[in-house]
Amino acid sequence: MSANSISSGVVCPGGRGSGGNTAGIVRACTMRLNLSLACAILAGALLLAGAVVSEVIAAPRDFRLDLAVQDRPSDDGSSLILSWSTDPAVLTLPTGVVLEDDPQIFIERKTEGAVDFLEAGRTTISAGRFQDIELDSRESYVYRIGLQPATGGMVYSEVSMAASPKGNLFRTQRVNALVAVLMMGGLVIAYIMAARRGAKLFIRRISGLDQIKEAVGRATEMGRKILFVPGIVSVSEPQTLAALGILGYVAKLTAQYGTQLEVPNADPLTMASAREIVKQSYMEAGAPEAFHEDMVRYITQDQFAYAGSVSGIMVRDKPAAIFLLGWFAAESLLLSETGQSIGAIQIAGTAQVTQLPFFVAACDYTMLGEELFAASAYLSKDPLILGSIKGQDAMKIAILAAIVIGVVMATVGADGFVNWFTAL
Amino acid sequence: MELQLPGIGEWVAAFLTLCAFSFLYKDNILYRFAESVFVGVSFGYYIGLAKINTLEPNLFRPLFGNFGEQWSLIVPFLLGVILYLRYIPKLAWVSNWSLAVYIGYYIGVNLLQRLQGEILPQAKGTMLPLNVGLWPTLCNLVVIIGVVTVLIYFFFSSPHKGVLKPTARIGIYFLMISFGASFGYTVMGRVSLLIGRLTFLVNDWARPLVHGAFGG
Amino acid sequence: MKRQVPIMLAITASFLPVIAFFFPNAWINEWFNRKLDEWMVIIASFAFLLGIVSMVQVNLHKVRRRQKGWIFSVIILVSFAIMASCGLFGAQGERENGTLYPFTWIFQFIYAPMQATMFSLLAFYVASASYRAFRVKNMEASLLLIGALIIMFGRIPFGALIHPVVPDLAEWIMRFPNAAAQRGIIIGAALGAASMSIRVMVGIERPYLGKS
Repeated sequence: MSANSISSGVVCPGGRGSGGNTAGIVRACTMRLNLSLACAILAGALLLAGAVVSEVIAAPRDFRLDLAVQDRPSDDGSSLILSWSTDPAVLTLPTGVVLEDDPQIFIERKTEGAVDFLEAGRTTISAGRFQDIELDSRESYVYRIGLQPATGGMVYSEVSMAASPKGNLFRTQRVNALVAVLMMGGLVIAYIMAARRGAKLFIRRISGLDQIKEAVGRATEMGRKILFVPGIVSVSEPQTLAALGILGYVAKLTAQYGTQLEVPNADPLTMASAREIVKQSYMEAGAPEAFHEDMVRYITQDQFAYAGSVSGIMVRDKPAAIFLLGWFAAESLLLSETGQSIGAIQIAGTAQVTQLPFFVAACDYTMLGEELFAASAYLSKDPLILGSIKGQDAMKIAILAAIVIGVVMATVGADGFVNWFTAL
Repeated sequence: MELQLPGIGEWVAAFLTLCAFSFLYKDNILYRFAESVFVGVSFGYYIGLAKINTLEPNLFRPLFGNFGEQWSLIVPFLLGVILYLRYIPKLAWVSNWSLAVYIGYYIGVNLLQRLQGEILPQAKGTMLPLNVGLWPTLCNLVVIIGVVTVLIYFFFSSPHKGVLKPTARIGIYFLMISFGASFGYTVMGRVSLLIGRLTFLVNDWARPLVHGAFGG
Repeated sequence: MKRQVPIMLAITASFLPVIAFFFPNAWINEWFNRKLDEWMVIIASFAFLLGIVSMVQVNLHKVRRRQKGWIFSVIILVSFAIMASCGLFGAQGERENGTLYPFTWIFQFIYAPMQATMFSLLAFYVASASYRAFRVKNMEASLLLIGALIIMFGRIPFGALIHPVVPDLAEWIMRFPNAAAQRGIIIGAALGAASMSIRVMVGIERPYLGKS
């Protein structure tokens, strides 16, 4: 029901009758004099207006709900929170009005100077609270709540006090996220600085990394190409960036060994970045003449058309080594199984938990989740980037500590600590 | 129910479906034909979508139709256009600007998504009470041990030696059980997809064809 | 200039959504969040032309040189040209007489069936993957096998016939050990991604410059 129909619900009982009389008079008048017609219309209009005015004056409130309006904290100044009492003792209805259990209510709002209330939303009386959004912080608003009794018509609560939404400086409910960002940022940057000062930072061996060199070597010996699939999404995904980091290393090896490299892409921006990276690697390896743009090419955006095409490349060109690194969906199985069927060495890595099982089953080496990111950083050999892995491990320790404390707190019933982690 | 003979659309769809299935036997000319059509059509489809869903309603129409209010769209328009400067060797370096803005923006978004959207709720979900009766407590303990050991497996700063070795080992066991579970869960889903495709071949193409040809 | 400008642009762009996330100012939200979100989709749409150029170059090259399988490059180019033209210059949906516009017809009778078929091929691949995964080589592989078998049998009526506890056990594995491992992977991967984000935000990793 729209705001109009609500207000017509208020006006109509009187209005409809008056309207009907007016129409009767008008029909009669058209057969008589024009002067009478004008008089009749005037009389009808006056009657109607009278009905409306009496309705507005006579309906200040039908029941009480203890309505309260307040500014929504930590927002941009576009919302107010309306609350009411759900205590049945407070709800006093006019005599004869019967409500069903937990009835629907109509939240109506108007700006302070306006005449008509407009519907702002609907909820049930038991909700006790309603958030009104998309308001103007320069305006002041009042609210009332409408109820439709089973007997028909509409009854209204008292009108609330006026309130204006106010913009706040900071979203206080996100202070936990701010702490996480500052902690993560602080730890990563601290370790990067330590690396810059020359601190020796140990990073353990990551499975699959040693095999990259082996795989490229094998392809070189066999005189076959290497196929590198950098996932199927754009560079907006960190897994794609991690995959591209490893591509830089692989491309440097293929440039040194003179092995053929092919990088088919499902996203044009990933293709553009991959091409830059491969080009740079060939230049750094001192073989810029061996680089040609078609090494990194675009296939199509559709995951299955892409997987179908790449599977075709696999069975036709029989690459000796296949890298499946980055963000994958259902096509992971199609790609890894086809690669397995041609006997290629397969090195995979993704953080997609649903696709990892298929890589684990079909590939020789699989970088699991975080290992993909660590491998990318590790291969860069840049001490600053290695420092950031240390920072990330320090954050991991903090999370583990928080989990242990959280378990203790949850066990002793101190839920405040656990609830602090709620993402809002 | 009266069955109509399959139309040209159903014929094309059935033919391509069979061509694609033929890959299961081995790579062949029919599969390659279907694959090529699929690659070309799918890419063409995305080009159409980019125009219909993004470029026309969100860029060209507002920018050229209501420049006064939508002038700011000139920024993505220019960033989009300078992507193409990579084809002019002397100006190719400028095209990295768009890539820098694009990657930069999503890096910021990702930082928040990972920390606020993943780490906080997942850590919270692991803070489980250990005094809720014997069986539920054991179940909670399994979750806590699982998360902690898997995280320790992902610890890179020190070698998996001493106490870390058996702990990381338990983490791997958890990972393997989970991979098995995911695997088993997906197997059933994939089989139902195949059944869906076979249903199309039988109901929409073969059955009407047989009925049309032999009556009945 | 060649290096500094993109680095500055990337660093600035990376901080804007972070600011919008914490500061609820309407102007900030409009410019740093809503508009930028919209702009990125537009930039990604422009990027399709890069894909077109690459795809046309590679396939034309094959055709010109009459490389093995060049005829399929012709098929790719023709089917792409037809579908892209229908999308760029034609209408979509149904005509008044009930027939479909070419863009929608091709979508319905070529694109969608091919997509569904390729998806359904996974049933066969999952079978061969299962065969390989379930060859018990060591402790890890046997755990994978046990997990998979329990879940598979737990999801079909046959599982309950083997033993009434099988469906409950499957449910338990999904809810506890599986959830725990997935949670560990998610937290770990999120840390890896966040760490990478910070490296880009402080400018020590620059994937947009062809250097990661």
